[in-house]
Amino acid sequence: MQETRQKELVNGEVWYSPGDDVPNVPTKLFALQNLCTDCKMCEVACSLIHSPEGELNPVWTRIKIDHAPQVSRVSKDGFGFMPAICHHCANPPPCAEVCPTDAFYYDPKTQAAVIDQDKCIQCMECVPGCPFDTVFVAPTGELLKCDLCGGDPACVKACSTRPEMLNAGKQYSRMPVLFYEEKAAFGQILRQKPEARDEVGIMQAMLSKGKVSSAA
Amino acid sequence: MESGLLRVDLSTGKIQREILPHSMFERWVGGSGINDWLLWEHFLKHDIMCDPRSPENVLIFGVGPLAGVGSGIGVKGRLTFKSPCYGSFGDSTGGGKFPYVVRFSGYDYIVVTGKAPKPVYIHICNGEVTICDATHLWGKDSAETHNTLRKELGDYPSEAYTLSIGQAGENQVGIAGVVSDGWRIHARCGGGGVMGSKNLKAIVTQGTQGIKVDNPAGLLEWSDGFRQKLDANEAAYGFKRRGTMGAVEMYQRIGGNFWRNNQGTQFRGEEVRSDNWVKKYHKYSEVCSSDCYIACDGRYKIEGHESDKAQKYVGETFRHPEYLTTASSAGALDVRDWAEVAHWGKITNDYGIDNQDLCCSISFLMELKQREIISDRDVEELFGRSQSLEWGRMEDIETLVEDVVFQRNPFGWLFRDGAYHGALRYSEQQGQNFMKYAIYGKGGASFTEEMRPFPTWMNNMAVASRGADHLKGIGLIEKFQRRDLSKAYFNGRTEAGDPTVPELKGASTALIENQVALINSYGVCMFHWMLDPLGYAPESYYGEVYTEVTGIDKTKEERMRDGERICNLEKAFNSRLGMRREHDTICERWMHEPCPEGPNKGRVAGDMFDYVLDEYYEWRGWDKETGLQTRERMQELELEEVADVLAADNALAGERRADRAVHVDVKIADDPGIPD
Repeated sequence: MQETRQKELVNGEVWYSPGDDVPNVPTKLFALQNLCTDCKMCEVACSLIHSPEGELNPVWTRIKIDHAPQVSRVSKDGFGFMPAICHHCANPPPCAEVCPTDAFYYDPKTQAAVIDQDKCIQCMECVPGCPFDTVFVAPTGELLKCDLCGGDPACVKACSTRPEMLNAGKQYSRMPVLFYEEKAAFGQILRQKPEARDEVGIMQAMLSKGKVSSAA
Repeated sequence: MESGLLRVDLSTGKIQREILPHSMFERWVGGSGINDWLLWEHFLKHDIMCDPRSPENVLIFGVGPLAGVGSGIGVKGRLTFKSPCYGSFGDSTGGGKFPYVVRFSGYDYIVVTGKAPKPVYIHICNGEVTICDATHLWGKDSAETHNTLRKELGDYPSEAYTLSIGQAGENQVGIAGVVSDGWRIHARCGGGGVMGSKNLKAIVTQGTQGIKVDNPAGLLEWSDGFRQKLDANEAAYGFKRRGTMGAVEMYQRIGGNFWRNNQGTQFRGEEVRSDNWVKKYHKYSEVCSSDCYIACDGRYKIEGHESDKAQKYVGETFRHPEYLTTASSAGALDVRDWAEVAHWGKITNDYGIDNQDLCCSISFLMELKQREIISDRDVEELFGRSQSLEWGRMEDIETLVEDVVFQRNPFGWLFRDGAYHGALRYSEQQGQNFMKYAIYGKGGASFTEEMRPFPTWMNNMAVASRGADHLKGIGLIEKFQRRDLSKAYFNGRTEAGDPTVPELKGASTALIENQVALINSYGVCMFHWMLDPLGYAPESYYGEVYTEVTGIDKTKEERMRDGERICNLEKAFNSRLGMRREHDTICERWMHEPCPEGPNKGRVAGDMFDYVLDEYYEWRGWDKETGLQTRERMQELELEEVADVLAADNALAGERRADRAVHVDVKIADDPGIPD
């Protein structure tokens, strides 16, 4: 019974009964915009964890480093980088909503929506279905989506800490670009004003505006 | 562990694919070790005395097994060839995305021979190789070439990254470099000149082929541990913030900077004496080589208000200057404005030319003019126009750079192979000896750091197989006065960490050359190791992750011997060319002219030179008199067949054969002469 419940479909009408806890993802991935160095270590770590037979190949990755998507006041060239990460949207996640075979289910540990490869018919509806373009297609046709590595994301561990966030005495004296945090805790991190970090215009402006790539 | 090897003969268009077997990695580790062996093999079949700009020369690109596996130690590609500017063994290292993407393209090693009838580029994508027309790219600088190719080839199946030459390489300038991704240069030894002589504009790679790792779980565990160690390392944050720029202030303190052709050891310009530029300039993007947990790079943009000269370069974007970019402009040429230093870095990268050899050529002439050794008329003859040779004037310096890059006047032709050959040719032309003012070490390679008070560095400059350079045997034990490292490596003795005595300096050169050979063969960056040379020792700590990736398990001693074997092969290459003890030398200024200022005022390299060199040969097990290798040592290193070749060429100590003439002089590239 428990097994069925965990695989409860999140699509459309098939939904949790009123009164049930809505399984929002409590702890999820966040990324700080434009602090990314494009080192690709998150991609490599992700592929190493997820690829068959431990093959190291970015085509198996569920996270992708992109060029900054928009031209902002501080980055006129729109050059910087940012990781395109699964935002683990609240119910119903758009990727799961468009799935014709209800192949998405919740990971009981992390509450992340993940794909049941046995049910997936590889129709690729979820690829454009994701507003953030973070459902990827493997060379085998398999659909790839972030599963939070069961609660210990390899990409977060691989992400380089940046010194620009130096803020002595606080919890995060040095910040990586990727975080695996509770939403409230991440909000707390964002409130740490990086006054000491006077050389990076972009991040300062982004942070003062509260602009991060994953809105809680 | 197996790797793909691609052989491209540009003369015939023939493409061969081979697999490098596991045994190759057991013997030569990977990366630069395998490159060296491929170079050695090539010149067993071809005349080693050939002109480096002829189709007989070979250009080898290789990347080690640790590159791109997510270890966090960075990625470095290696180019190996016979150097057109020094005439000896040549190799150069570069980072960026190219060496990372190449690992997914199906080939880790690319060997290019022959010469294409017209400009071409090689496109490698998932094992498929095409030789494409590059006529439309000829004449473009390295950044433009990169951007054009990326646009043409698109992002499928993966983003395209390039290894290309700028105009300097096209014009076969001896000191031209090869640029990866349009902005990170493999500068030393003139790989760009070799590429240009082959009519090869670029190598482009795309791919989605996976890398097989022997033990993925072990690799992940090691990487996690390494990242934690780096997070706890305070020095790493200095690197993350400003790359190698911290060296400017440190060298000011210890008197290690190079000013006005080494007439001084301290930078003068207030602005360039500290790295406060990071606060002034607008960093608009973080960026780095792939797979690097430090990521010391960044992209900056000049907005115009930063300094007096910044107005001229508004909108120019550049990666932040590294120490040697600064030393070659703010130091050697006395440029005093950050915007101009950045501009210098940008143009030398775009044209694809080594700024070390180039700046010393320019500063050599500036000093001759400063001392009024040459007259205005001489200058006019040299440049074909009236030309100011005042220190620090960037607009003039830029013109001089273009003279060399585009080979457009006698100055450009004479100095196309760097300061040493330029000074020799100019002395000959003028009938006067100007060599006193040329800065060079082995092979005639220039380097812009003060050497006189630092015996290990001076020895590095004299013995480095690829010509004077700090990346073959970086003397960090001595320069940072690390007595703790000296103790650890030399049974409790501390002398290697004390620059005032000659003892253990030759020994530490030999030791660190072996370690660096290992790092380059792994295909990773040296910076991480430099942060904690004991903690991240290439023979033990990095050796562990090498085992996880390749499955080759060796002891610390065996790994050090692998490093030594690689150094010996590079040495053997040079010995075959006729290089002997007398070629292990440095310039007159370093050797005999007392250090003019700073904490080491009055020191000369000559005081300790012979002692240190003797000790170096002793530790290497080479013959002190000739500088040649001995058969005993080669046997210990399992290099018997290399020793046989050396013996046949009269290049093995104690074994002379009458049937072959001794090469008495190193044949440096042919004098280009002066076209009509």
